[in-house]
Amino acid sequence: MSALPPIVGDDVAGPLSAEVARFAARAIDARAIDQAHAIPKAVLSGLAELGLFGLTLPAEYGGAGCSMRTAAQVVAELARFDRSVAVTLGLHLGLGTRGLVKYGTASQHERYLPSLCTGERIAAFATTEPQAGSDLSALSTKAVETAGGALRVNGRKVYVTNGGLAGLYTLAVATPGLGGRERGQSLLLVERGDAGFSVEAEEHKLGLRGSSTTGLVLDDVTLPATRLLGEPGMAVPALAHILSWGRTLMSAGCVGTVRAALDKVQLQVATRRQFGKPLAALEVVREQVARFEARAFGMAALVDEVARAEGDVLLVRSLAAKVFASEGGWEVVDGAIQLHGGLGFIEDTGLALMLRDLRVTRIFEGANDVLLSHFGASELTKPLPRVALTTQVDAALAGVAAEADDLAKQVEATRQSLLSRFKVGIFRQPRWMHQLGAACTWREAVDSAVRLADTTRRPEDIARASVLAFDAKARVARLLNEPIPRDLLEVALRETLPLPEVRP
Amino acid sequence: MTTPIEQRVVHIISQLVPVKPEAIKPEHRLREDLGMDSVASMELLSMLAEELELDVGVEDVADVHTVGATIALARDFLAKKNVA
Repeated sequence: MSALPPIVGDDVAGPLSAEVARFAARAIDARAIDQAHAIPKAVLSGLAELGLFGLTLPAEYGGAGCSMRTAAQVVAELARFDRSVAVTLGLHLGLGTRGLVKYGTASQHERYLPSLCTGERIAAFATTEPQAGSDLSALSTKAVETAGGALRVNGRKVYVTNGGLAGLYTLAVATPGLGGRERGQSLLLVERGDAGFSVEAEEHKLGLRGSSTTGLVLDDVTLPATRLLGEPGMAVPALAHILSWGRTLMSAGCVGTVRAALDKVQLQVATRRQFGKPLAALEVVREQVARFEARAFGMAALVDEVARAEGDVLLVRSLAAKVFASEGGWEVVDGAIQLHGGLGFIEDTGLALMLRDLRVTRIFEGANDVLLSHFGASELTKPLPRVALTTQVDAALAGVAAEADDLAKQVEATRQSLLSRFKVGIFRQPRWMHQLGAACTWREAVDSAVRLADTTRRPEDIARASVLAFDAKARVARLLNEPIPRDLLEVALRETLPLPEVRP
Repeated sequence: MTTPIEQRVVHIISQLVPVKPEAIKPEHRLREDLGMDSVASMELLSMLAEELELDVGVEDVADVHTVGATIALARDFLAKKNVA
């Protein structure tokens, strides 16, 4: 099994990853987890014994106080063996506990963190509702202040990862009027066992079948005001931070899955013979594998940089990492199946499970299309700072750095042209925002890949960064083309999808 | 008594978020108080510029975060337009 890209400058992540890999190789059977639709208790206990549930939680409460980067490495390692296990832990460390760690009060920390560190209590996070997904302003689960100052909560949440396992839930709910905010949303901590709170049955899913996914029902749940997490009415900025962790750890899982798929590809193309020679001797196959390796390298490089970022850069680049890793994961595993021929379609090979498990990564924690529009909008108002790579890297990387700089220049020229052509009206051009966001995603990945190659200086890494830049150039050129004219789209859709009336 | 520009701004906001026009106040922040995300708040300014035929650049709206600031922006650009 080949290793994930090297971890530079982190004394903990490398040895811990090796320990996690040894445990996973011994204890995790992905096929059995998929078939049982559950993770064995022994696996969860094993994660707890390794201290992984407290990995990023504060040391004063029994956690290890490690960085997101270390957590990303651990999640990637687990995902090489099974994605359900990686998602269960990643959700606990990211969306599940990040809000509590950053915005919780001392008494909330004392009450919850010790049991969350040991894994005695697992964390979940819930925003999605039957009628509200990426649009938080549409939340209908409401917490209303009672005359006695408590909060009465009613509503329903759906597709809650870890829903059936968790003992603590962070919920985003509408809190009109709370904190003086007309349309505010707030975060609430809900415990399993709170009167009126119930967990629905497990969902039957395409993939991630070992990971628990349930709905939650809140029927006149009355909570003390001390269950508010952070400032009342201020869920939106808090969610941005929490989601940046969730998205980054989810992206790390994609890095691990892709590595596992490419290990299978390596074996397959070396041993499978067609037309009198191994697949690995065929140039078309070699090009595909090189592209996949380059994509995996770009994914790992971008995710590693984002896992080390902070503030606004973390918020924005985590969008790019999420989209690039989830789309890349899908493309690479699909390609891996193709290179396995009919064998790839058989569950025994393990790739079918990887593909099923990956599918939702393009949807959850922000559907990719929504995130691309947000990234595009963010670039139009406040572009990420960028320094030309040719001024930063070793001479051995001058060529690929120049390619990356050219790519960034193309994107910037289009951005400037959109601003001058549409002015503020660009925000009424959703397809342009989406396309610009997608182009910027490739720019970010190529930049990260070049910087990682500059750190390792391995010829294969430099070549992978170059292949990625080559691929990116063609894709970005396409993304920066004019979208299909609106009137043409409308005629094409006239009989099948006439434009619906939009009600305010 | 609200001015036509204020009414226009409030009307557009009420199209974008489910808040009754009478509940929208100049001091409300577009994101924190009215629940708009970054794209929706930019779309508001974009719709306003389109409806009032104002020549507004993205750099002009970077610091507009409240209903009052949106109204002020519309007033300024209408005044510029009328002078021109």
